[in-house]
Amino acid sequence: MWKKLIGWLVLVIIILIYLSTGIYQVGPSEVALIKTFGKYTHSTGPGMHFHLPYPFQSHVIVDVETIRKEEIGFRTIESYGKISYRTVNEEALMLTGDGNIISVEAAVQYRIKDPVKFAFNVINGKELVRFTTESVLRERIAVRTIDDVLTVERDKIALETAEKVQEILDSYDSGILINKVYLQEVAPPDQVVAAFDDVNNAKQDKERFINEATKYANDVIPKAQGQAEKILREAEAYAQKKILEAQGETQRFLSVLKEYEIAPEITKKRLILEKLQSVFSSTKNIFVLDDSGTIKLLNVNDLIGGDTK
Amino acid sequence: MKAKIITISVILLIAIIFLTLSMFVVDQTQQAVVLRFGQIVNTYSTPGIHFRTPFVDNVVKFEKRILLYDIEPEKIITLDKKTLIVDTYALWKIVDAKKFIETMKTIGLAESRIDDIVYSNIRNVFAKHSFDEIISDKRESFLKEVTTLSRADLENFGIEIVDVRVKHADLPSENVSAVYERMKAERYSIAAQIRAEGQKEAQKIRAEADKNVTVILAQAQSQAEKIRGDGEASATRIYALAYQTNPEFFELWRSLSAYDTILNNGTVIFGKDLEIFKYIFEVK
Repeated sequence: MWKKLIGWLVLVIIILIYLSTGIYQVGPSEVALIKTFGKYTHSTGPGMHFHLPYPFQSHVIVDVETIRKEEIGFRTIESYGKISYRTVNEEALMLTGDGNIISVEAAVQYRIKDPVKFAFNVINGKELVRFTTESVLRERIAVRTIDDVLTVERDKIALETAEKVQEILDSYDSGILINKVYLQEVAPPDQVVAAFDDVNNAKQDKERFINEATKYANDVIPKAQGQAEKILREAEAYAQKKILEAQGETQRFLSVLKEYEIAPEITKKRLILEKLQSVFSSTKNIFVLDDSGTIKLLNVNDLIGGDTK
Repeated sequence: MKAKIITISVILLIAIIFLTLSMFVVDQTQQAVVLRFGQIVNTYSTPGIHFRTPFVDNVVKFEKRILLYDIEPEKIITLDKKTLIVDTYALWKIVDAKKFIETMKTIGLAESRIDDIVYSNIRNVFAKHSFDEIISDKRESFLKEVTTLSRADLENFGIEIVDVRVKHADLPSENVSAVYERMKAERYSIAAQIRAEGQKEAQKIRAEADKNVTVILAQAQSQAEKIRGDGEASATRIYALAYQTNPEFFELWRSLSAYDTILNNGTVIFGKDLEIFKYIFEVK
């Protein structure tokens, strides 16, 4: 009796274990694709689910929300929680349209937009994204000059690459959605960095030369302007002085003239005498050449009229 | 009774075993070929449950999904005799399982065939074009050509080439250093040019400043002369207007004031008929 019961129990357990192959769990960002006899029938969302056990139904779980990433030209190394980056030169070095070599590092972010296509159309989605991005990125770099890649065209390259990769992946019916391609470090190769830096230094030098010259110009021109002002003010001062002198002198002349006109002869004599007095008072000897050529000594006092005697 | 149950159970068990042996499942990602003593009996490319004769038929399953084959990098000589190392990869899938098993048997074998054909086509197509063309955006059309050619070549093997793409197209290492040297030379020459331009600009600014200084001073000088002249003219006019009211008195006035400076201290010798003495001798 007990033997029989144990036998049944074992049978039930075996059946339960078998049935449990049909239990599956789907995570919050995932989708489960259910296959009945190998043929895809439907999808289920997150949660606990049950499908018919082996060999009737099986499932594939695809993460559709999580953003996946592929790195080109570099690798992120995580050790003891510290993140560092290492350049992979074989991947990073690319030819540009003008025959130069440039080092480009990029990251492509993608997720699964169609889990059915992704699970059943392609095998190695990760590699597919990686290879396609590498290939397209190189194409986009190869149609540009090194200077454009280094400077203005960065955004465009990333955008074009993302678009083109999407287009190609769609043509494979891969169900992959490219979120974005991020260009990381875009730089000249190590061997030529010094030469590129020299160009930057040269640009700085150029600015410096110009600034120094501007400084010179800013110094001499205002000084010259100041000097010009000085010259002008001096001239104006001279002119004013001349005019004022003339005004003063003529004023004096006119004043005296007014008085002179009252009695011209008398005043004339007076003026002469006064002048002679003041002039000759400090003169010791005056010689006058006569018409005959002999020198006469003039007596100053006689001239003045003997008033001083 | 008991014996009957056992018999039924055994028959049922045998039936189940037989059924499992004759049934096979083709997955969504697979296609299958049923072989009977090495001969192809049937192919199934749709997923689901299929049947075979147990113990006699052998089922071989193949991938239906797109496969990626990374071809080893190879040297290619372009039309202009430049060497390029091209790293390609091919995407392919098995479209005809029957043909595939007849000709290829395994994926490994197929890959080596693909390698040969794709590589040969790449070489043929790229060799007709110059280095610059291959590097340019024409590459895509060349690759389309390679894809088309390879597709035609592999059609009979039950393989479809989905795409052939170039992952890398690089210069061989012996050329790389030459490129670096050229790049360096180019940059240094650009740097030299930039510096020279800076000096040119600076020189221009200095010369312009010097010119401005000269002009500013000259303009001031010229303006100053004019101002002086105006002043002198005004003064002259003032004198003239005042003195002309009585020229006779002016003569006297001016002469007398001249004596102040002429006849200062010391001994003086004159000619008698000097204009300046007119008044002196008149008085006498």
